[in-house]
Amino acid sequence: METIGRILLVEDDPKDTELTMAALEEYNLSNEVVVASDGEEALDYLYYRGKFQRRSGDNPAVMLLDLKLPKVDGFEVLQRVKADDKLKMIPVVVLTSSREERDMVESYKLGVNAYVVKPVDFHEFVNAIKELGVFWAIINEPPPGSVRKK
Amino acid sequence: MTRGNPWLPRIPLVVQRYGLAVSSVAIALGVGLFLSGQNIKDVEFPIFLIAIALTVWYAGIGPAIVALVLASLAFNYYFTQPRYTFYVNTSEIPYYTVFMIFALLITWFAAVRRRVERNLEKSRDELQREVAIRTQQASLLNLTHDTIFVRDMNDVITYWNRGAQELYGWSAEEAIGKRSHDLLKPIFPTQTDQPFPDHAGVIRAELLRVGRWDGELRHTKADATEVVVSSRWSLQRDDRGDPVAVLETNNDISARKRWENEIRSLNQQLARRSTELEATNKELEAFAYSISHDLRAPLRHMAGYAELLQKHSGPAMDDKGRRYMAMILEAAQRMGTLIDDLLAFSRIGRAETRETMVSVGQLVKEVQSEVLQETEGRNLTWKVGALPDLYGDRSMLKLALVNLVSNALKFTRTRPAPEIEIGSSDERPDDVVVFVKDNGVGFDMKYVNKLFGVFQRLHRADEFEGTGIGLATVQRIVHRHGGRVWAEGQIGCGATFYLSLPKP
Repeated sequence: METIGRILLVEDDPKDTELTMAALEEYNLSNEVVVASDGEEALDYLYYRGKFQRRSGDNPAVMLLDLKLPKVDGFEVLQRVKADDKLKMIPVVVLTSSREERDMVESYKLGVNAYVVKPVDFHEFVNAIKELGVFWAIINEPPPGSVRKK
Repeated sequence: MTRGNPWLPRIPLVVQRYGLAVSSVAIALGVGLFLSGQNIKDVEFPIFLIAIALTVWYAGIGPAIVALVLASLAFNYYFTQPRYTFYVNTSEIPYYTVFMIFALLITWFAAVRRRVERNLEKSRDELQREVAIRTQQASLLNLTHDTIFVRDMNDVITYWNRGAQELYGWSAEEAIGKRSHDLLKPIFPTQTDQPFPDHAGVIRAELLRVGRWDGELRHTKADATEVVVSSRWSLQRDDRGDPVAVLETNNDISARKRWENEIRSLNQQLARRSTELEATNKELEAFAYSISHDLRAPLRHMAGYAELLQKHSGPAMDDKGRRYMAMILEAAQRMGTLIDDLLAFSRIGRAETRETMVSVGQLVKEVQSEVLQETEGRNLTWKVGALPDLYGDRSMLKLALVNLVSNALKFTRTRPAPEIEIGSSDERPDDVVVFVKDNGVGFDMKYVNKLFGVFQRLHRADEFEGTGIGLATVQRIVHRHGGRVWAEGQIGCGATFYLSLPKP
């Protein structure tokens, strides 16, 4: 049986979260998804703080990161993750509405592993999420110390 | 003595001089003999002295000595005992000695006197020459258009040329003798490094130190208006090095000053405008960024939930319901395309151009291969002529071409034998024209002005799809390259789009 890596979804918009979850559900990838609704929560999760103080397990297999986030924005989360020796191996995929070139350039400069623009069309959106989920949570061998479930 | 007698021009000067010596002694002898014949005694002695004196006066030392010797001999021969011999009595030797000394004294005095007179004449000549030169210089100073005046160390004006009269309006008679400070009321420049500037003091110190000063001043004219002058001062010193006068040369720069001020204020305006423009540009950018992020999200949600609804309740819906759902999805999709196109369009206005030499022929090849999928299965004919190299932003120029070619493909879709021609003409000196011509549905020239506007469309959406941004994008790209776009067309007979771009 395939192993499924844990996905950390950092998304402030509940509708986007719901749609993403719906897409992942279609491929049975939704069970291992943890949602952080802003940058601070994402960092809390990664550092076992706040409501994630007692969480079990290791780093997520992939982090799907929105850029426009309340409190701590996506760039800062990305920067903090890539600057931390314990976290920098986590694959980070920016998942954003923006097609702005400067966002893309900035993300790659900070060491993002992939940059995906959310398509308006739902079918395309579902496909993109599915491919992302399948690739990062199943096909990709995550770095040692990531949560994987048989 | 050096000059010959003007009435005896042909006789050599030496002969004249010695002739004078001989003749004056001869005349003196004659007069002496005549007077002694008249029984007037003892006048021979002064008469000979007069002859010698005349000779030395008019003929110089040499002839005077000759005259002295001749006079002595004549005196001895004719007037001393024994007469008519050259015999000299010992008792008469003192007499002769006195005569000689007396004659020599006269000769010497006359020579000194003559020398002094000659020096005086020379000085007078030099003085006259000097006066002539000075007069000429003064009149030259009057000829120049520059304003020149001289003031002494008490600031009293001592010279005032015609230029000064013309500029300030006072004549030399009115100005000379007045203090220049009272007359012109100079205002010194405000720019200075000194915290509490004593301009006049600073300038005076500089003038005394280096001997000159220049700068800008404001003066008041006779008609009470102000004039800005570029002023140069030179200090004049006497033989001992003490300052005696200041020569001030002024040029009227009021007009230049006015222009400078105007230019400065225009520059300030320009700087303000460009700051405003920059701020506007920043706002626009923030606006576009926000649209890119925030406007697309609700659209995605609309599409996403409509899709989910269709999936969830699709089976329960009738055909009408399913069509409504399809319409919602289509509208959301179109809105997404519009936003993308609009953002791309606004990016062209904001993005910096990176200009290089671009081969238009190469660009056309790339565009052709990009639209290969669209043209597959269509009976399309390409006609590509000679194309120029241009200086411009490669990706922008390519985008312009992509838009024009896509348009041509779109509007020839209904043609059985579509044809697209791309070429150039190089008839004008400064720019080169590239055109894209098709045999598609064309357009009515009545609406040619609307062609390049944003969101302007000449066809219904169900005829030909599109957002109405393609040609606006083309126009914006060409304008950013300093070029021009225009189009020609006829309904049913195709359209031609022209770009004129500056030659590299």
